Amino acid sequence: MSVGGSAGGAPSAYDPKKLRMYGLVGSVVGIYLGAILNSALDTTVFSFIGAIAAIFAVVMGANAVRRVCAYGIGTGVPSIGMLALGMGIIAVMFGLSMAETLGSVLLGPIIILIYAGVFGYIIGVIANKVIKFNIPVMEEGNADLSMAGALAILGWSFAISGTLGYVDILNNVLMTGYIAIIFIAGGLAILHPFNANLGPDEKQDRTLVNAIMVSALAMIATGIAAIATQGLASGLLQLVIGFALWFYFFKMYYRLVKRDAAAVVGTGLLPPAVQ
Amino acid sequence: MDAFSMGLIAAMGALATVAGASEDIESDIGSQSNPNSQVQLAAQVGNPHRIYNKAISGEPPANALWAATAAMVAYTLITAFQMPALLALVAGASVAALFNGVFSISSYFGRNSSQARFNQWVYMDIVRYTTPSIMAHAWITAFCIATISYIMVYMLPTPHPFPMPIIALIWGLAVGAIGSSVGDIHYGGEREFQNRQFGCGLNTMLSGQIVRKAEAGLRNSIDNAWFCTKFGGPATGMGFGLTVFLDNWRTTIFDPVTQASLAIAMGIFFIILMVVYNNYIERSVRAKYGPYPEYKGDIAA
Repeated sequence: MSVGGSAGGAPSAYDPKKLRMYGLVGSVVGIYLGAILNSALDTTVFSFIGAIAAIFAVVMGANAVRRVCAYGIGTGVPSIGMLALGMGIIAVMFGLSMAETLGSVLLGPIIILIYAGVFGYIIGVIANKVIKFNIPVMEEGNADLSMAGALAILGWSFAISGTLGYVDILNNVLMTGYIAIIFIAGGLAILHPFNANLGPDEKQDRTLVNAIMVSALAMIATGIAAIATQGLASGLLQLVIGFALWFYFFKMYYRLVKRDAAAVVGTGLLPPAVQ
Repeated sequence: MDAFSMGLIAAMGALATVAGASEDIESDIGSQSNPNSQVQLAAQVGNPHRIYNKAISGEPPANALWAATAAMVAYTLITAFQMPALLALVAGASVAALFNGVFSISSYFGRNSSQARFNQWVYMDIVRYTTPSIMAHAWITAFCIATISYIMVYMLPTPHPFPMPIIALIWGLAVGAIGSSVGDIHYGGEREFQNRQFGCGLNTMLSGQIVRKAEAGLRNSIDNAWFCTKFGGPATGMGFGLTVFLDNWRTTIFDPVTQASLAIAMGIFFIILMVVYNNYIERSVRAKYGPYPEYKGDIAA
């Protein structure tokens, strides 16, 4: 189906294995860095690192969406993005409460990562074997998506609450309702890049730059939420950094659009058709 | 039940009607969801066009984002800065509209540049004058939905237990789903193929053969807003307004705690009523317009 992009695997300049490593390492290290700095210095200023860590996870997730959906899942792009966050939120809640039970908050991200990977893989197997999607990268892609969704939710939840404690995240993120914006902005950050660039001439770098841009937009949203939970200073810092990232990557995205488009014109009549 | 809460329910119904109408027109200006596949396909079958291609997921997730953003900002301003509710809701809707603008522009750029081999150009004038009207409609939708959730959480005599952003998310999903199933058909079926006989359905042969020229000049998405305001938008508004009004009406008339079974029975009664009425409309339309005749050549004017 031509609407869903080219079939048979999307050509890519960046290897998915490398992107997965960068995504996982970047987001886990970022979340730990933010959590340790926050608790060691007894402040909430470093919460913005959690939102930056989420960007790494989102890039990996957007690449997984791109790989799975290049097999012609046109209208399924939004669904798979929502699926990623749905799998992720279960993993986050499970991992955080397990870590709280085990007595060490810092175990949380590792438990979440392992749980999300296994959970996503099982969903992928069900999608391929039971529902019969028959997409070769489905299992791998779903494991990636689940991990990306979980780490993105964890990163942004940390950015809003400022700690990795289960009770704090429950009070600051779930009870206030901020989970709604994390869920939907995170879901769109993962699904929007490929959805917005769908077409036969889609390019991987343009899609991934779009992913960074949209997750910076989500960082602006978590910055606003952090104003209420952590105070003006840490919230505004997060908001300003988010805006700066968004601005930089939006300009980069526009540059790539000008590179890839048939023509970017001020105005004009219909172009001649090419068949 | 008292007069005050009944007034609130009526206000919520009115807000929902406006939200539904603006949501549908917003998606039609950008050719989102249902009509989007034909806009996307047009260039690929050799019909490059000047119509906005705003592919922001489906309508439900996209509208959930605008509504949740507006409610989140308003909630933050109300709780952290004790700002008056109306000002906070306006500020929230403005942030949501800005988000909408970024998403719209990025998908117009992305979709069109991914069709470079079909010579689909990126027109900057389309971006400059269509995006603000999309954002304006998204502002109205986000404001109305955030206000509905504010009323549900802070003003009703039996407040809703969920926090405000979550309720806005759910209503955003609902308005997107209703807009995409009620209003978009008017644009997708009637506007993009208005040069075909009414009710002929979409033959595979016609895929992507959308109308690209307008009454004067080339068709753009503002023309589509004008067309959809006449039927698609109001129909969506009525659909969503009735959903919000009837749903809240039954839990206001009957206390949801002590008279829960009556409220549920009333809900089931509404569903049965709607099914019967829809069945009647479908039958009467079929009787009036009949089965579509076989194609026997163009009809002379």
